[in-house]
Amino acid sequence: MLAGALRVVIPVRGIPATTLLPDTTGIHYSATLAEPAGFSSAESVLLVLCVLLSAGLFFWRFAPILRNILRSRPDADFSLRPIGRRVWAFVSEVLCQSRVIRQRPLPGLAHAFVFWGFLAFALVSLNHLASGVRLGFLDPQGRLGSFYFLFAAAWAVLVAVSIAGLFIRRFFMRPVWLGEKLSYESGFIAFLIFLLMVTYLGAFFVDKGSTGVNLLWWMHTLSLLIFLPLIPHTKHLHLVLSPLTVFLKRDGFAKIPPLAGDEDFGLVAGKDITQLISLQTYSCVECGRCTEHCPAATTGKLLNPKEIVLGLRSYLNELGPASETPLLAEARDTAPADAHQQLLSMEAAFACTTCGSCEFQCPVGVQHVPIIVGLRRGATNTGAWEDTYGTKLFLALEKSGNALGLSAMERDKFIQKQQFPLFDGTQEYCLWLGCMGGYDPRGREIIADFARVMRHLGTTFGVLKKEKCTGDPARRLGNDLVFQTLAESGLKAFETAKVQKIVAICPHCVRTIANDWREYGIAPVIEHHSEFMARHRDHLPQQAGESIVYHDPCYLGRYQEIYDEPRAVIAQAGTLVEAPRSHERSFCCGAGGGLAFLGEEPGERVSHVRAKELAATGAKVVGTACPFCNTMFRDALSAISDTPPQLLDIAQLTARAIPASPDPMGGTQ
Amino acid sequence: MKIVVAIKQVPERDAPIRIAADGRWIEEGDLSYTINEPDAYALEEALQLKEKTGSGEVIVVCAGPERVESTLREALAKGADRAIRIEADDLQSLDTLGVASILAEAIKAESPDLILTGLQSDDLGLGQTGVVLAELLAIPHATIIMQVEPTGAGLKVKRELEDGWFQHVEMPLPALLTIQSGGNKLRYATLMGIKKAKTKELKTVSPTTPPTAPAITLERVYLPEKQKKTEMLTGSPDEIAARVVEKLKFEVRAL
Repeated sequence: MLAGALRVVIPVRGIPATTLLPDTTGIHYSATLAEPAGFSSAESVLLVLCVLLSAGLFFWRFAPILRNILRSRPDADFSLRPIGRRVWAFVSEVLCQSRVIRQRPLPGLAHAFVFWGFLAFALVSLNHLASGVRLGFLDPQGRLGSFYFLFAAAWAVLVAVSIAGLFIRRFFMRPVWLGEKLSYESGFIAFLIFLLMVTYLGAFFVDKGSTGVNLLWWMHTLSLLIFLPLIPHTKHLHLVLSPLTVFLKRDGFAKIPPLAGDEDFGLVAGKDITQLISLQTYSCVECGRCTEHCPAATTGKLLNPKEIVLGLRSYLNELGPASETPLLAEARDTAPADAHQQLLSMEAAFACTTCGSCEFQCPVGVQHVPIIVGLRRGATNTGAWEDTYGTKLFLALEKSGNALGLSAMERDKFIQKQQFPLFDGTQEYCLWLGCMGGYDPRGREIIADFARVMRHLGTTFGVLKKEKCTGDPARRLGNDLVFQTLAESGLKAFETAKVQKIVAICPHCVRTIANDWREYGIAPVIEHHSEFMARHRDHLPQQAGESIVYHDPCYLGRYQEIYDEPRAVIAQAGTLVEAPRSHERSFCCGAGGGLAFLGEEPGERVSHVRAKELAATGAKVVGTACPFCNTMFRDALSAISDTPPQLLDIAQLTARAIPASPDPMGGTQ
Repeated sequence: MKIVVAIKQVPERDAPIRIAADGRWIEEGDLSYTINEPDAYALEEALQLKEKTGSGEVIVVCAGPERVESTLREALAKGADRAIRIEADDLQSLDTLGVASILAEAIKAESPDLILTGLQSDDLGLGQTGVVLAELLAIPHATIIMQVEPTGAGLKVKRELEDGWFQHVEMPLPALLTIQSGGNKLRYATLMGIKKAKTKELKTVSPTTPPTAPAITLERVYLPEKQKKTEMLTGSPDEIAARVVEKLKFEVRAL
């Protein structure tokens, strides 16, 4: 319609368009895009056939995937609300590429340029194909058209440079996280994208009406049409799915969904894979950010979060979402018939510390923690997981109600010795001891010191007469029976004692009570002692500037986004030093997910890796805010160094400057 | 193989024990109850035998008031196929023979190939019920069993003797074994087990013959009375050391 008519070249911004490059051999720069002078009917028909073939091939390959996603079990707890958070995630993570860029700034930006370039290019491509059937709507000589084509050209340059850079990274620099195997398909797709851009830019450099114009036009078209059917069976499927995945992902970090009905025991077989999980596994772009940050994968364990996701994808491709074949093999099959048998194993699933690093990093909206915990639920709830330590832990929780398997009398004795008042409704806070605070010698020191801080501040508190584990380790190891029993008993204990406010030293307890218990009822407001102390920091003693490196516990940081409060407490107790990996990127201590209670870990100990990192900062003290981190580092620090830094909880760091009170209620132990 | 496991419900280990007003038993009101530990091992042995032989049935039997049904449900959740509660509201009024009689009546109706029970109870610790039960049923028994191996028509069992000695016995079926704790690893209860247990049969039966008057009655129960005795040993270090060894050996029996 518009294309092909002879028009006068309009100079842009007063620059004569033809003077930028020497006008020789038919190649010269023009500020306007050259389009073929016209399309014969035969050409148009050929184009339509090519488009239909390409689109047909795309859907032929995409349909089984779509079918697998749609035929997966619906997510019982799914709700679009709150929609605001979903829109925000879409704007931030998809449109602004925040997660892509934040973790890997250079390749992340390169990716963002390709993505934004694609968005800018969408209109160009549409017009490109439309012009082939004489329906082009952007006029290269028109005001809007000429501007837009130049705007897209700028993006084309960025895309071409970026994709070339990404190609070099993938095929020559070869970061280990992308996997050992080179994907030639990825290379070919990168080449197609590059070609797409070059053939577009080339149209600014050829004579209008020359055969070169037609050649470029067709090369551009073919690049586009070859690219399309390659999408479904490569990681480039994320182009289609991940915007949706990010928008639809389950609300809440590392949220474990409730089981649906009497037949749901977690991810036992294909029939248990939900639509969200299905969508997420097909969205995986295999970037390996999850693996790169995984405390298990980076210390020689069998677990690799990316492989779990790809294993599920392979399972769905091989067996479909209605299969009854178990998802998890007991051990890794070295000569598997299907890839999932190699990628999905109990050994891998039970190596996860549930630190949530993978889920936090994932740029395409994969939620690894519910998937891995789901697989564990499938194994534990059915009794398929047989592990000496795991069984011992579950029996201890069943019988004694605490993870350490000690008699409740031990806790009674400790309370008496500390002269902790029982909560009777007159005190402001219920001080939750937790298994570590009630039974572990080191945890008891932390609780005792925190009680001193509370007494120093004049805050009244009492402890429950009977207290059972929150069920955190059972929850993360997939034992819903023990978890439910403990959650219900805990809720009842708070209700009976008429507790209004709870404070605890353990981020696992806080997270589990505040969040995971919601399946069975609403617990009273609970806060972590870092929040409590940060609020009262003006009344806490200011200490001289001893250097303290703070370790962000996973369950306080990533799980509850509490980063500033413990730092405020530490700033009061000395000079805060940041670890190389801190805040959202903090590296696990190795205890989470119930792993503190399981046997010896293969490979390097997670706690040693982190302890070395913390000690290398040269700080005099390692400051912790979780009794589990504390207990892990106690052993690790003395193992990695003869003169390790001191190890103290933020409560201990604060209490050490509080003078011993002559009042027996405030006395030291 | 049809296996009956006779279990007892006992107060939880951590339960705060208070003596009842009449001084003859403990206050039962606010106690929480659980399976007698050696019985848990007997159940585990039964479940493993069933798994090993690939067929058979495990039936759990417990005498007591309604509260024992929770323990029976747990046993069903761990994998037992059926449960029978023998109505006995006041188990304390019976002696071993009385308890064994009502157990024998219920078990006879099932005519099992094998009966397993814990070697003793955590509360009374008499260690007699299994043996008397075998006598009443007129079948052979073996006590303090660590291992059971089916040998076609019979069993090969490993008994624990004193001082680290073991005895291996071959015996015919039907038979009764009293199982020692710790021979196997216990399994944990699972959600799937609990869900399945809901659909399993839990039958209540009443003893038909009135129990005979107990030959043994409990006179008094009391908490261990603390005796703290301090004795100063005098003499040369050698003499003191010799006395300490002697006391550790014969009085404290720690050596």
